[in-house]
Amino acid sequence: MVMKPELDKNILIFLLVSIGLIVFPHVYHIPAAIFGLFNLLLVWRLIGSWKPNWLPGKPLTLVLAVSGIGLLYSQHLGLFGREAGTNLFIIALGLKLLEMKTERDIYLVNYLAFIVAASQFLYEQSILMASYILLVCCVLLATLVCINSCSIRLLAALKTAAIIIVQALPIAVALFVLFPRLEAPKWMLFNDSHRAEAGLSDSMEPGSISDLGESFELVFRVKFAGAIPPPQQRYWRGPVLSYTDGKRWTQAAFQKPLGKPAVAGIAYQYTLLMEPQDKNWVFALDMPQEFSAPLTLNAGYQLITSERSDQRAEYKVTSYPDYNTGPINPGEYQASTQLPGEPSDQIKHLVGQLHGFDSAPDNFINQLLSHFRTEDFHYTLTPPVMEENPIETFLFKTRYGFCSHYASAFVYLMRVAHIPARVVAGYQGGELNKVGGFLEIRQADAHAWAEVWLENRGWVRVDPTAAIAPERIEREINIDRQTAYGIASGNNYLPRPAYNWLKQARQLWGNVDYNWQRWVINYDNKSQSSFLSSFGINDLKAMIYWMIAVIALITAALCWFLLYQKPKAADKVLLIYNRFCKKLVKHGLLRGAGEGAKNFADRVKIKLPEQAEEVDQITALFIKLRYGRTATGEDLLQFKTLVGLFKG
Amino acid sequence: MKLTERFRLSRFVSGEKAVDTPVVLNHRRIFILPTQRGLGFVLLIVLLMLIAFVYNNNLAYMLAFLLASVFFITILHSYKALSGLVVQEGRSQAVFAGEAAGFDIHINNTTEIERHQLQVTLQDTQSLTLKPQSTEQVTVYSLTAKRGWHHAGTVTLSSTYPLGLFRAWSPIRFNLKALVYPKPAPIEMPFPKAPSEENQQGFSRNGADDFYGLQEYQSGDSIKHIHWKAFARGLGVFSKQYGGDQASEEIRLDYDHAPGHNSEERLSRLCRWVVDAERAGIRYGFALPGLTVPPGNGLAHYQKCLEALALF
Repeated sequence: MVMKPELDKNILIFLLVSIGLIVFPHVYHIPAAIFGLFNLLLVWRLIGSWKPNWLPGKPLTLVLAVSGIGLLYSQHLGLFGREAGTNLFIIALGLKLLEMKTERDIYLVNYLAFIVAASQFLYEQSILMASYILLVCCVLLATLVCINSCSIRLLAALKTAAIIIVQALPIAVALFVLFPRLEAPKWMLFNDSHRAEAGLSDSMEPGSISDLGESFELVFRVKFAGAIPPPQQRYWRGPVLSYTDGKRWTQAAFQKPLGKPAVAGIAYQYTLLMEPQDKNWVFALDMPQEFSAPLTLNAGYQLITSERSDQRAEYKVTSYPDYNTGPINPGEYQASTQLPGEPSDQIKHLVGQLHGFDSAPDNFINQLLSHFRTEDFHYTLTPPVMEENPIETFLFKTRYGFCSHYASAFVYLMRVAHIPARVVAGYQGGELNKVGGFLEIRQADAHAWAEVWLENRGWVRVDPTAAIAPERIEREINIDRQTAYGIASGNNYLPRPAYNWLKQARQLWGNVDYNWQRWVINYDNKSQSSFLSSFGINDLKAMIYWMIAVIALITAALCWFLLYQKPKAADKVLLIYNRFCKKLVKHGLLRGAGEGAKNFADRVKIKLPEQAEEVDQITALFIKLRYGRTATGEDLLQFKTLVGLFKG
Repeated sequence: MKLTERFRLSRFVSGEKAVDTPVVLNHRRIFILPTQRGLGFVLLIVLLMLIAFVYNNNLAYMLAFLLASVFFITILHSYKALSGLVVQEGRSQAVFAGEAAGFDIHINNTTEIERHQLQVTLQDTQSLTLKPQSTEQVTVYSLTAKRGWHHAGTVTLSSTYPLGLFRAWSPIRFNLKALVYPKPAPIEMPFPKAPSEENQQGFSRNGADDFYGLQEYQSGDSIKHIHWKAFARGLGVFSKQYGGDQASEEIRLDYDHAPGHNSEERLSRLCRWVVDAERAGIRYGFALPGLTVPPGNGLAHYQKCLEALALF
């Protein structure tokens, strides 16, 4: 192996740029100090490719290495796990760049860059990121092509690398589909607690929030097996908040409900595709009835998963919008009539005025809803802050609020009238993606509504926000698109598409993304086995056999495509002539290197005078076919026959 | 035969039987094995699989599978880097023992694909890139030790294109041999006096190798006699001339009278005399047991004598 003493500058710059591209998306995930150090090292090396003297010597490299390790230590990332690993590899890559001297080092750097590229997928798995990484991998392979072809024609190298990747894709896809997916054993799972996915919070404090950002972050998708329920029934049930201290609403410790709710009427069958969550809540349509492990129903009729929630997951659920939860148990009754203290006279007066104490619960509910409708109540995403007595302030002073304000005020007033009531948090509505035929529920669809327990009917959903007169809603926003009350990160704020085409494009993209999530990202051992069993591949052995067979098939096709070349006419001529020469070897006649065909023929004729004629014919045809311009296909045929007939 | 020996002689290492005809590189002739870097790449794939497994991350799996597939596909590309090349032996030039014999190898690329960074190895390695539909000639060298025929042995064509993960190689043996003359004795000695001429001429040959003067370089002059100092000063190329007017002289070099402990030393001495005599322009005759060459000089005569010495 010939080792070039110096690395080609252009190849080096090419490699450095591609490494910069690989690490760049990590800017969101790694500490700024580490990203800064890496870029310092990268730029240093880049300058060093023009001015080699500026590169650090051994002692300085050692200092840099030690400071890199120090930096890693100072970030408290630990030794194992995603964060620690990613940062470690990035720092190692940066340091290795500085002492890149031989081809071997380039390979090492290249391999490290591939690992850093893979670590990118631990943070983001979108189509865009996958395409980006694929492109950069192509550039990385191109540097290897450059080294091995000793050429600096970067475009040609890129093309070669791209061709190799395209040819590699079929086998990669076959492996992807057929390679057995196994669950990693528990001890191998690192505890990465740093991840923070947006989601509903498990408490609500309407008075303390004055501005609610709308986040269009996707929370989950739903694909219905049959009909899609109308918008007014699309309540996706989250946690039940029963306990309040007057300001804050939280979950109470529930006992088991008395029994399963009785259901009737239409059933909706659907598949939930949950995005990563920070809690193990699964948002089902009211009222989930049929579901399988790992899902369980808690006392608030909320679905809980026992699997890791920080990964996408898919669940099949059947819900019935017509349900009756039956009688209430004493613990539940107590929890859902709990009040933080004696209500104020103003409140009592309002409840009395609305016949809360002297009529049936049904009547009081309607009175209260019409109170919200007829009085000067407004819906806004930017309500004033209500620090003290938020419920009274909202009801009697400001009268501006969003779903949480209305739900909490409604429930409070119900409890004052001794009607069991509670707040339910979750999502409402969802946008139908017409392309894919599924609902997309985003963070902005977060909602809070009330539930009231009524004799013989069980828990009944009441949505006080829906009672607000549409003309009093500030900002152009559909009533079914309520706002989040929890911590909604507003960093990817997207204005609602004003134009139809934009909406269509978004839906199309949403569909592509849905299928990507469903079939690529979420392709785990469960979906693999269900997918493969539809082809009759049921066990591990069959899977491996099929994998080998498919790969062999693709390889055969590739071999044919890559290696089969129609022999050119000139080659054929030479091959046939060589056959002729081989026949003469037996007679001790060897055509010397560089010996002309004519000279050779003369020698042959002396040795084999009786075959002089054939030899002459063959030689003449050979010269004509190989060097002449007027050779025809017939000549080739004749040449072939003559050589075939020639008896050495 | 011992196993290691058999392995060394197998097709795998030393190639097919030695041939004279052009060799077309095909699946019988091309061998492919991963390089050290290729093994590193496998390690990388395993590591990526491990990451994908632990985090149950499908895109990391996909990247690992893609790289594994690239690794696999590269085997075909490595094969393609060599396949279809037509390799033909060229000429070789005679050398003195101890020098490196050069063998010409012609490589013909009859296909439409460019062959990058082909490496032709004998004792050293030459690299070349072959354009589509072109022929290149490389000269590879092999150090000689003994006089006689020196066989080129196995010429290896190899390539690590495209990714350096695999090395494809093809050992080829041609019936290539170079004639190796004996190594000229290191010490100069006066030419032997021809017994018949000694009295007649009464001329001492002792001074024959004394520096005589400079003469403009003529083709055929030994490279060892070029006056390098003058050349370095930019004065032109001159040859150093030795001895007096030798044109009329004639010497007879006889194996039996050559000094030396054994035949090799004698041949070495004779060789030196032949070289010196040719250089000095003396007509020299030549006698080996069983072979007598009449006096003469010039390149053909010189080569004839040296060949006789080489093959004695």
